[in-house]
Amino acid sequence: MQWTTIAQAVMTGILMGSIYALVAIGLTLIFGVVRIVNFAQGEFLMVGMYISYWLWRLFGLDPYLSLLITMPAMFLFGVLVYGVFFRRVIGAPDLAQIFLTVGLSIVLMNLALFFFTADFRSIRTPYGDLTVNLGGVILSVPRLLAFAGALLFGLLLYLFLWGTNTGKALRAVAQDREVAMLLGINPERMYWLAVGLGGALAGGAGALLLPFFYVFPTVGVTFVLIAFVVVIFGTLGNIKGAFLAAFIVGVAESLGILFAGGDMGLIVVFVILVLVLAFKPSGLMGA
Amino acid sequence: MPHLLRPQVYVPAGALAVLVILPHLLPNVFYIHILIMMFLFAALGGAWNLLGGYGGQLSLGNAAFFGVGAYASTLLVNFYNLSPWIGMLLGAMVAMLLSVLVGAICFRLRGAYFAIATIGLAEVLRLAAHHFRDLTYGAQGITVPFKGSAPLYFQFASKIPYYYIALLFMLGVILLTRRLERSRLGNYLVAIGQNQEAAEALGINSAWAKQQANFLMALITAFGGTFYAQYIYFIDPPSAFGLGLSIQIALVAIVGGVATVMGPVLGAVIMESLIQFTQIAFAGTSYGLELIVYGALLVVMILLRPTGLIGWVSQGYGAMLRNLPGGGLVEGVER
Repeated sequence: MQWTTIAQAVMTGILMGSIYALVAIGLTLIFGVVRIVNFAQGEFLMVGMYISYWLWRLFGLDPYLSLLITMPAMFLFGVLVYGVFFRRVIGAPDLAQIFLTVGLSIVLMNLALFFFTADFRSIRTPYGDLTVNLGGVILSVPRLLAFAGALLFGLLLYLFLWGTNTGKALRAVAQDREVAMLLGINPERMYWLAVGLGGALAGGAGALLLPFFYVFPTVGVTFVLIAFVVVIFGTLGNIKGAFLAAFIVGVAESLGILFAGGDMGLIVVFVILVLVLAFKPSGLMGA
Repeated sequence: MPHLLRPQVYVPAGALAVLVILPHLLPNVFYIHILIMMFLFAALGGAWNLLGGYGGQLSLGNAAFFGVGAYASTLLVNFYNLSPWIGMLLGAMVAMLLSVLVGAICFRLRGAYFAIATIGLAEVLRLAAHHFRDLTYGAQGITVPFKGSAPLYFQFASKIPYYYIALLFMLGVILLTRRLERSRLGNYLVAIGQNQEAAEALGINSAWAKQQANFLMALITAFGGTFYAQYIYFIDPPSAFGLGLSIQIALVAIVGGVATVMGPVLGAVIMESLIQFTQIAFAGTSYGLELIVYGALLVVMILLRPTGLIGWVSQGYGAMLRNLPGGGLVEGVER
């Protein structure tokens, strides 16, 4: 096997890892602040993809431009989901929290099936088939752009969380709700902000994914399962951990496909999950 | 036999008699099919309820046990012509061994971590069934070889024998759950489900108690998988190991009411009639509608009535029993 083949797989994994990072950071952010594991995070991505898809289909809007609509729309969607659903199960038993979001995921997935049918849809862009050749490693331009976009959103989120007062307040609530309240932070505001940001990140991932991936009602399922692996691997609630773990998982999946065949990529991902849970359930960043 | 005159005895006995006669009265095999699926899911949800309801360990990976039961019996009849009745026992043994592995990895985990770990394990099996085509035919699935009317091979000419097998299966799970509820293990599980630290402080070995429930859950769920495969004559990785199935199993117990004997039965009746009848009503004209209703029902239930619908039904049932002949005599004796 030539080194370029392996380098190709590693690069493909890194580029895909950036999409996993966006979905997983949203998931881990919501968990960190609101303490709810959002089983519907994959459907947030799916809704984001359909928004960008229809903006392209109906108005010819380029998916990268549609980020400007899809991300704010998904932010509002997240806030709405928080206000109508999540708010009522904060601090509730695990059963209520888990199965509320499972129920939401079922509803969203099947609303998409009802309105848009099970068709696999894709868009055509002038740059969709472009590639660049880096010393024998061939990379698709939309995947590179997705990677760049994900890094940009990651950086913006970092600047927001570590550089602004609101961001610091958000992290304070994630660290210790009671102390944050004593410091005069309104946790309610942070809760809806976190779910909104989680929605916007998933929407961003959806728009970035669209130029090189099919959209269909159950597209989110694989992504949310991978995001679960990423957030547990990177320590649930830890944003930097999720960012790092996303790339590791992306590369592991890609190498699994290279060495063992198409459907083995995901097996590798879930074996990582089982091994992490068996030997270090607190994850990479855990004590 | 004075207690035969009590409604607590003659009402369930009457209901059972109706269920025994029912398949001979129904005009259409489709109704028999719906009842079979209800019994099957009542048993599967009842199995989930043992660990998930009483013990509070919310598995989203029960398809792993189901799939093992389905594939083991089907592969054995396919390659070795071994009767699925024996395949069912072997599959259940494999599922119970698997449950030891699940327990070893997952029982240290709580809440969503536990749920995600069980999803991961079931997904590994689904993908493996997809990958090892030489054995499982991969995504294509396996058809059970048709042998005509062969009761020794779990094959019957009409749906009625399947109906009685499924009915017995459900009754078995109901009786087992009743026994568990009144046993020491049942009390341990409830204590663990409410507060594991406190239960352990009282000297309960939580790992042991959870594994006992896990064994029962694996055994029953694998039996269910064998039944399903031999009844439908076909399995493939998503129908045997899919996440959708794991979710459906848990929902049956949750919608009906967790940690109750009859909750999963009620849940199975509601969910299966919802799915089957909306499928007929909208056949071919729209897709996903039944699952929208089903998901919405779950969301509304969690928000408005997280203890399940069984509470209302058992209140009504209790009131009915008191008003029936013989009912007043025993008021206050039994709950």
